[in-house]
Amino acid sequence: MADTDRKPDATMSIPDEAKVGEVSRLLGESGDLRDARLSAYRSLAVATLPDRVQHLWRFTNPAHLLPGDPAAAAAAAWPVAVAAGAAAAARIVLRAGTAPVVNVSPEAAAAGLAVTPIVSSADLAAHAGDEEGAAFELFRGLNEALWNCGVRIIAPRGAVLGAPIHVRVQAGAGAVLPRIVVEVGEGAEVTLVEEHTGGRLGTRVVGRTELVAAAAARLHHVLVQRWEDGINGHLTARARVGREADLLTTFASLGGDRAKVELLTDLAGEGARSEMMGIAFGTGNQRFDHHTRHRHLACNTWSNIDFKAVADGSSRSSYTGLIRIEEKARASEAYQENRNLLLSSAGRADSIPELEILNEDVSCSHGATVAPVDPAQVFYLQSRGLAPGEAVRLVVQGFLAKAIDRLPDGTREAVAGLVDSRLEGLRGRAA
Amino acid sequence: MNTPQNVLSINQNYAERYGFHDPEDYFLKAPKGIDHELVEMISLKKGEPQWMRDVRHKALDVFFEKPMPRWGNSRLLGEIDFDNIHYYIKPKGEQANNWDDVHDDIKRTFDRLGVPEAERKFLAGVTAQYESEVVYHSIREDLEQQGVLFCDMDSGLRLHPEIVKRYFGTIIPTRDNKFAALNTAAWSGGSFIYVPKNIRVDIPLQAYFRINAENMGQFERTLIIADEGSSVHYIEGCTAPTYSSDSLHSAVVELVAMKGAHIRYTTIQNWSTNVLNLVTKRAHAYEDAVVEWVDGNLGSKLTMKYPSIVLKGERAHGEVLSIAFAGHGQHQDAGAKMVHAAPNTTSRIVSKSISKDDGRSSYRGLVKMARGSHGCRTSVECDALLIGEHARSDTYPTMDIAEADVHVEHEARVSKVGEEQLFYLQCRGLDADKARLMIVNGFIEPFVKELPMEYAVELNRLIELEMEGSVG
Repeated sequence: MADTDRKPDATMSIPDEAKVGEVSRLLGESGDLRDARLSAYRSLAVATLPDRVQHLWRFTNPAHLLPGDPAAAAAAAWPVAVAAGAAAAARIVLRAGTAPVVNVSPEAAAAGLAVTPIVSSADLAAHAGDEEGAAFELFRGLNEALWNCGVRIIAPRGAVLGAPIHVRVQAGAGAVLPRIVVEVGEGAEVTLVEEHTGGRLGTRVVGRTELVAAAAARLHHVLVQRWEDGINGHLTARARVGREADLLTTFASLGGDRAKVELLTDLAGEGARSEMMGIAFGTGNQRFDHHTRHRHLACNTWSNIDFKAVADGSSRSSYTGLIRIEEKARASEAYQENRNLLLSSAGRADSIPELEILNEDVSCSHGATVAPVDPAQVFYLQSRGLAPGEAVRLVVQGFLAKAIDRLPDGTREAVAGLVDSRLEGLRGRAA
Repeated sequence: MNTPQNVLSINQNYAERYGFHDPEDYFLKAPKGIDHELVEMISLKKGEPQWMRDVRHKALDVFFEKPMPRWGNSRLLGEIDFDNIHYYIKPKGEQANNWDDVHDDIKRTFDRLGVPEAERKFLAGVTAQYESEVVYHSIREDLEQQGVLFCDMDSGLRLHPEIVKRYFGTIIPTRDNKFAALNTAAWSGGSFIYVPKNIRVDIPLQAYFRINAENMGQFERTLIIADEGSSVHYIEGCTAPTYSSDSLHSAVVELVAMKGAHIRYTTIQNWSTNVLNLVTKRAHAYEDAVVEWVDGNLGSKLTMKYPSIVLKGERAHGEVLSIAFAGHGQHQDAGAKMVHAAPNTTSRIVSKSISKDDGRSSYRGLVKMARGSHGCRTSVECDALLIGEHARSDTYPTMDIAEADVHVEHEARVSKVGEEQLFYLQCRGLDADKARLMIVNGFIEPFVKELPMEYAVELNRLIELEMEGSVG
């Protein structure tokens, strides 16, 4: 369909049912957890890939994202040690086929933070299933049945963590299906940094993160994707925001060959709020496909999305974003903005911001733009003595600054560094 | 008009003004359903050349083979029973160019709809289509002398086969979509217009489409060619009686604006709420040409219509200005498509919608910038107004940009009538009803001011009726 200009990737098929047992054995699981996997597998509409007529799959061929063999990821030989630096409440490393490596700081442990492996189906209970009553969407379902590394993070009621929890999903060769479950109790305050790194040619990642913020909780979810080249991946983060709770999502998509990211937010409790700020920066032949969905399910809910994408080389950024305000979600507000900056004539951006408003008592707007770097801005900077390439660099930095500034300490510098290294190439380029 | 009512809807007097129907008395009413035999029969009756007959048959195969669209309102689309539709109905009497010669029943219908009156007042030419055939046609003599061709499509094919053959199906190919294929197989009536080089037709040409029978399928086909430097404004209106079972209206409209030409195509769609209106409209605009679709959707049960403009020549400009009103039980799924296929082309889409009661209006649009479309600009603006607790509004825009040196903007807003606006106007001494009406009128103003006077007055009146008593 849309990506005919690219040589086809090797497509894989949906793993068969026997893999469920293999993955379960690999992780040494209880029968209870294996049964949960099997029932998830069977409830998948296994035979069919998503319909590409739907906007959600318009820009990415799902066959390119299917994991290979989730059971083949033999436990990596090299051990990983994580030190709990002063800057983190906890450091966690996930690798396919192994138990999580966890290090919780004494302060966080004292505040009640619990980080555990997923050992029984009860650990997933709050998050089991997909949409109410509906069959699993393929990739969420695949993860549900075949996840091959996972962790459960619980911040109890009232726990206020001064430093972020850092989860690194380290992709190796083969298929990585991380499962991250986060529960933030009433009034608790948590920052969770989820960082996807590593991988090599042919690695496939199908990730799923489930977040629940109880009443009056404050959760900052940071999703940084900085895979190596040659990786295709599909990441889903699903959040349920309770009464008067606050969710801030910041994300940066930088690596991989093809990355599809789905950020699904349910404003489930009265007065729930969600703010989302993200960036994507594509170079070479990268394909980014971002989807956001905000469902306003209760009164007085508020959401705001600000997504900025830069496309250089012959990269392509696609964005589909749906705001749906249900009939019962009166007095709600929702805003959505997607701006795309094209740095080269072969760069490409698609934007489909969608609204579905089912009651009249709302205030809702969205905006989207696609444009090159504003020559007037470049001219202004040149008149102040900057070289053309340098001027463009500065404009792009400014374009992304607002989102990058919202990242937590440490992550912010890392992401800014990655963006800067991509901007290095612009230095010599004429405006 | 001064007595506020609790439940008001636009077209509340539709039954009495447009919803009546004549006794069915036809020259020929084809049995329900469509097959190659029927297509052959239509083509034979019309005495068409072999090439058109072949086009129809091929199109019917495409129609059978293509699946139903899997997007849009698939529930209502799924309700269409293609075997329960009359695909061709020929009314009594031959086409007349004098109003007095039109068959009495039909004449009464159009008299009631005010068509001849409108012609006398402000139109340069009129066609009136009843079921499958055009029953009345006229054009001002001076235009005819200048070489302007304006007739129904069947006559166009008969009298100007070389032009029709050259353009028919080139803007909207048979395979474009299932309903375009159906139209190509079963088309009858519609308008054919050719405006020669540098001729400017200052007064609008009009077509009025009327469905009378129950379970009727109307498939008019319109082709407008504006030669270099010419200009033309075409207006179409449509109504149908209110029946309990559905009729299908599926038109194909192709426009060609040559270098420097200007076409404006205005539609006031006011079908009864048992009509499914599935229409394909597309224009090609060459160098320096301007094409404007002014599109008002008030009636029908479901409308799926996305007027498109392919900007093929440098500096061509496309504009779509649309308004949709979705009242009880209606779904207006309308929008626009702009394809920028040449450098320095510009376009603008302004879409306004009002959803009332449990009505649903959707904006569905596409802006595409092909590689090489340097220096193009486009802006899309969607405004939706919701009136009533169960009203629904959707916005589904698509932007597909393959060129860096372009500017694309999209904005959408959804809201109810602002309390502070109402409060302000009430402070100035207006009652709540008047204040609300004023706000709604202001909301649709950009659309109304593009309409010819008579239509603008009519639309304002409809809105006034609709807004009456909607407070409290």
